[in-house]
Amino acid sequence: MEEMNFEELRNQYAILKDQLNKQEIVNDCLIRETMRFRKKEINTTKKTAYIAVAAVLLIYPYLYINHIWSLAFIIVTCLMMLFCLVATLYIHRPVDRLNFMRDDFSTVARVMAKFKKQYDNWLHYVAPALIIPWLSWACYEYAFKNSIEGVSPLLLIIPLIVGAVIGGFAGYRLHCKAVNAAQDIIDEIENVEMGE
Amino acid sequence: MKQEEQFARLVREHKSTIYTVCYMFSQDEEEVNDLFQETLINMWKGINSFREESKISTWIYRVALNTCLLQERKKKKEVKKVPLTMDVNFFEDNDANSQQVRMLHQRIGRLGLVDRALVMMWLEGMSYDEIGAVMGLSAQNVGVKLFRIKEQLKKN
Repeated sequence: MEEMNFEELRNQYAILKDQLNKQEIVNDCLIRETMRFRKKEINTTKKTAYIAVAAVLLIYPYLYINHIWSLAFIIVTCLMMLFCLVATLYIHRPVDRLNFMRDDFSTVARVMAKFKKQYDNWLHYVAPALIIPWLSWACYEYAFKNSIEGVSPLLLIIPLIVGAVIGGFAGYRLHCKAVNAAQDIIDEIENVEMGE
Repeated sequence: MKQEEQFARLVREHKSTIYTVCYMFSQDEEEVNDLFQETLINMWKGINSFREESKISTWIYRVALNTCLLQERKKKKEVKKVPLTMDVNFFEDNDANSQQVRMLHQRIGRLGLVDRALVMMWLEGMSYDEIGAVMGLSAQNVGVKLFRIKEQLKKN
């Protein structure tokens, strides 16, 4: 009975292979399209981090000239952005070193799982620790130091808060999607390690 | 031989292996198509990194499995989707062969990702050493894991 079970599995596999051998599957157009890819793709997250840092480093001195925020705040913001860039590069480093074509399944999966876990820690612990004090300081500087007569400072900080909430929510959603997708891989790797 | 010609020949020779891996990790024909194309792109990008010390089929399995495992299912704008040339749709056709293939897909699909990869290579007739090289496991460990998978398959 047991042998029959595996024999059946083997037969089904043989049928699949036989059916596939009769198919063309790959056509010239597909091969041509594939070979268009030569250059290394730059990771989207890293690209976004570079753009964000460049934007901040360019925009913030302008804001200082217009006396919107203090020099101390601008320096701290720039340093914070540089720290975020360095952290992003650090988290990506093992993935960049990974040779997708040479490394075995377990190694690739383990590195990716570690990468996702680090990103998760970054989102849940480091990002709030940076953003909450920074946003509070930004609100204070923007609303109270630049107070307009007759306008409540609380009204001035509403756009900042709304922007932060929308940005934070969008970022969190994107991040959760990636981390959840990795959960299966993490579970699998734990199973492999337990079996060793 | 030019690298382009070599690559095209390699893909045509191993098309059924690549398709099988993609099929076992997919839920519909469109997903198979995406994974197949992604696997070819990764093979093309890494063709220079292939070392003659391992068998080409082992290398292809490695690239295909890594692609299937880590594919984030996001549609890349720069990739023009090209449909595969197939007369059959194993997910929808109702002839006897397609039904058998679908049964295989269902049984293997109940397994976890690593187990699925192991059982596929076992069915392909690869040695424990070759499977171990693809998976990053010792041959002994492959044997133990396959024994457990067979036990699990018996229960299903």
